[in-house]
Amino acid sequence: MANLSPAPILGGYDKSLPDVRLIERSGLALVSLAIPLGGEAAATQAIRAAFGLDLPAPGMSAAGKAHRLIRTGPDQALLMFDNNTANAQPAVRAALNGACYTTMQTDAWVVLAVSGPGTRRALERICPLDLHDSAFAVDAAGRTVMEHMSALILREGDDSFLLLSASSSARSFLHAVETSITHTS
Amino acid sequence: MIIDHPLLGPRDAAEFVYKGDAALIDRPDWQAEDAADKFHEYMYLRDNVAGEMAELWYHEHGDRSWLVVTRNTLTHKITSVELARDVARRRGRGK
Repeated sequence: MANLSPAPILGGYDKSLPDVRLIERSGLALVSLAIPLGGEAAATQAIRAAFGLDLPAPGMSAAGKAHRLIRTGPDQALLMFDNNTANAQPAVRAALNGACYTTMQTDAWVVLAVSGPGTRRALERICPLDLHDSAFAVDAAGRTVMEHMSALILREGDDSFLLLSASSSARSFLHAVETSITHTS
Repeated sequence: MIIDHPLLGPRDAAEFVYKGDAALIDRPDWQAEDAADKFHEYMYLRDNVAGEMAELWYHEHGDRSWLVVTRNTLTHKITSVELARDVARRRGRGK
């Protein structure tokens, strides 16, 4: 059998502009966790035991050594970690031992990383969320809509953000972000 | 229009989908004698309110939560926003 390896959705896009760098971050596994009705305490405990992370409040994320956990809704979170193989979801399911329902999401999302001093200025144009420090601190995360495309934005550092959107419209999303950056830098 | 989401804070209305009268939460009892009439009313009859109205909004481009938004249909002024599941539980729903 042919030896197949996964290809990045945008071919490993990497572009440096004067004060912003935009790259595709590939090789990340994404597994969504759904918390069963009334099972938040058990889920919190299982997540802490498995990944050493406290389940963050909605609108926030928590980062450990290898994992980042994004709370996407009252009963839902998205676990992100480096893993390029198909066994990411079975491994998470086994580690949580039934405390959450898990779904493999890796192929559904494209992940862009935007960084540099001009990042917030570029994002102000397409992101409807308030990204000021007082409203969107480091580790804050939120789902929203950018240029009519559903997106998830996460603040990794002072001047670095991750943008996630549907992999099926990855090129359109990249174009929207790229355009915003070129128009503001 | 800005909807002040109870968990996520102020969000633009473009992130939401309007789902109509919050009376949809009160699904009739299917075992009642007059169930057919009640379901007809539930399905087809709506009050056309000019003033304050409890509405369902779905946060599609967000956390996918359902909200009960109390909004004045004449002025668009929003006076309260709650998670629909909290409202449903308060009305005696188990889930």
